[in-house]
Amino acid sequence: MSKLLEEIEAQIAEAKAGFSRRNVGVVREISDGVARIEGLTDAMMNEMIDFGDGIMGLALNLEETEVGAIILGDYTKIGEGREVRTTGKLLQVPVGKELLGRVVDALGVPEDGKGPLKSDTSYPVEKIAPGIVERRSVNQPVQTGIMAIDAMIPIGRGQRELIIGDRSTGKTTICIDTIINQARLNKAAEEAGDKEYRPLYCVYVAIGQKLSNIARLTNVLEENGAMPYTVVVNASASESATNQYLAPYAGCAIGEWFMDNGMDALIIYDDLSKHANAYRQVSLVLKRPPGREAYPGDVFYLHSRLLERAARMDEEHGNGSLTALPIIETQMGDVSAYIPTNVISITDGQIYLETDLFFQGVRPAISVGLSVSRVGSSAQLKAMKQVAGRVKLELSQFRELAAFAQFGSDLDARTKAQIERGKRIIEVFKQPQYNPIGVEIQVSILWAVQNGYFDDVEVDDVGVVQDKLAEFMSTRKQDVLERILKEKTLSDELIGELRRAVEEFKQTIQ
Amino acid sequence: MKISKKAKSEAKGLFRACLRDGIPDEGRVREMLSAVMKTKPRGYLPVLVYFHYLLRIENRRRTARIESAVALSEKQTSDLKENLTSQYGKGLIFEFKQNDDLLGGVRIQVGSDVLDGSIRGRLGELESKF
Repeated sequence: MSKLLEEIEAQIAEAKAGFSRRNVGVVREISDGVARIEGLTDAMMNEMIDFGDGIMGLALNLEETEVGAIILGDYTKIGEGREVRTTGKLLQVPVGKELLGRVVDALGVPEDGKGPLKSDTSYPVEKIAPGIVERRSVNQPVQTGIMAIDAMIPIGRGQRELIIGDRSTGKTTICIDTIINQARLNKAAEEAGDKEYRPLYCVYVAIGQKLSNIARLTNVLEENGAMPYTVVVNASASESATNQYLAPYAGCAIGEWFMDNGMDALIIYDDLSKHANAYRQVSLVLKRPPGREAYPGDVFYLHSRLLERAARMDEEHGNGSLTALPIIETQMGDVSAYIPTNVISITDGQIYLETDLFFQGVRPAISVGLSVSRVGSSAQLKAMKQVAGRVKLELSQFRELAAFAQFGSDLDARTKAQIERGKRIIEVFKQPQYNPIGVEIQVSILWAVQNGYFDDVEVDDVGVVQDKLAEFMSTRKQDVLERILKEKTLSDELIGELRRAVEEFKQTIQ
Repeated sequence: MKISKKAKSEAKGLFRACLRDGIPDEGRVREMLSAVMKTKPRGYLPVLVYFHYLLRIENRRRTARIESAVALSEKQTSDLKENLTSQYGKGLIFEFKQNDDLLGGVRIQVGSDVLDGSIRGRLGELESKF
């Protein structure tokens, strides 16, 4: 009680201090969540503006005679002539481990009904990306648990890998699988007491999504035990364009806290096409001049400044990392549209999902030819590199040969073998959703495929045999899997053991 | 009324022409207005609307509105005028007003700067702190 009294006395003492100085303005016009304010001569870019009654705004346009501000909250309560004031503060969101397992909005206010946040740290929503000196190149992998990605398009911690494709091609599913796999790995390391393992925390930012989708997603994450390692930042389609515009930056600030504190985080922006649309709306209402496709001139900077904040820090600066997986939705597979080309050029590679492949049953529908990871291979596990090094090339050759083989059946034995191998590789890369596979099992399966142990399996049976091999390895040959994880490379001795294990398995299924 | 960029820039030109020592000169403004109204050049109306807007903004920027709970003495008034002129420069338009709602103290607003030393202001500040 005495402490409370002291606090009240301190507050009164502060309030007693003579004149208070502030900078005010008057709302001249208000529409669609954007206010134009006369006055506010001291307003700074991105400064919070106090509209009273707990409503805040963000100064975005500083013009000669007025200030354009976006309103964070219910703008219908604000009328023309209302006095507003500058606060001298930038927009901040709560950050910290307390946010794990929570669903928050673009301002960090909980939306999951689990009570208030206990976080006492805040980060500014807009922040300059780490400089060159503080960074290092990626050297640790992000295991997505999706074999096609981990083998052919590896992602490193600190990388920015774009996931691009038409609607309903499995973009979000790849991200959910990745989150689930991180939870699985984090939990396994916690249970094993592995101090060397660096847990990867996930931030999922939903921009302009349907609320039903977000509810389904959080349910999936909860069912798979991934929520304790995940923060969901939600700016759904029902929220204002302002909140949708701010959500990725808020999510990034939450992820940056992990990076700044020497931890690793993964952030998913689902999706940046809707983010660009929200920004276009805000900009048009702010009367900024429209450019190509009516987007404002700084739409490239909008995404580049966001994605540049993903980084891998060097040892002197905490050794943390923030990996970004932005999502872009294309229209009719057009990757040459304005926003897709912008984000492709910003990121360190892209995973391109094709509708045709999806309907052919190749899921995840990754187009191997158009997908690339520019930096991830340096972070790939050496054992994976050994077994998957040739896969991408073989698949490309297969596609070429398969197209050629359509015109005639008179093929030489080598070409036929290549086609048969290709068919089996495609089957191996098919993977059901929410079912990530551990990297050690991926290595075993790919090694078996590369060494012809699947050549005598019917194409339609590849999936079943693959599952059986995975089960066999994880139940009866755990020591081999553990050695792959521990040694991280396939030595001759380990290859010998792997060969014996796979041959034993082949005998059991025969 | 939609005001084009051209009209805005013309209005700004007229506004600059009406300044004397950085302050709008009433005589020049009147002279300019009568000249425009006499000739009525093409598109003069948006120019005048924007000119009026600029003049209003400038007027607001130069107006020092002083509100106090009780009427100020002559000395207090002159001291205030002197202090504000030294801070914001010459050409201020002073408006003194008695406002019982302040409960006590003074509230001064020059342009968008507010110096609040009133009891009402302090109470508001205390309220926001809790």
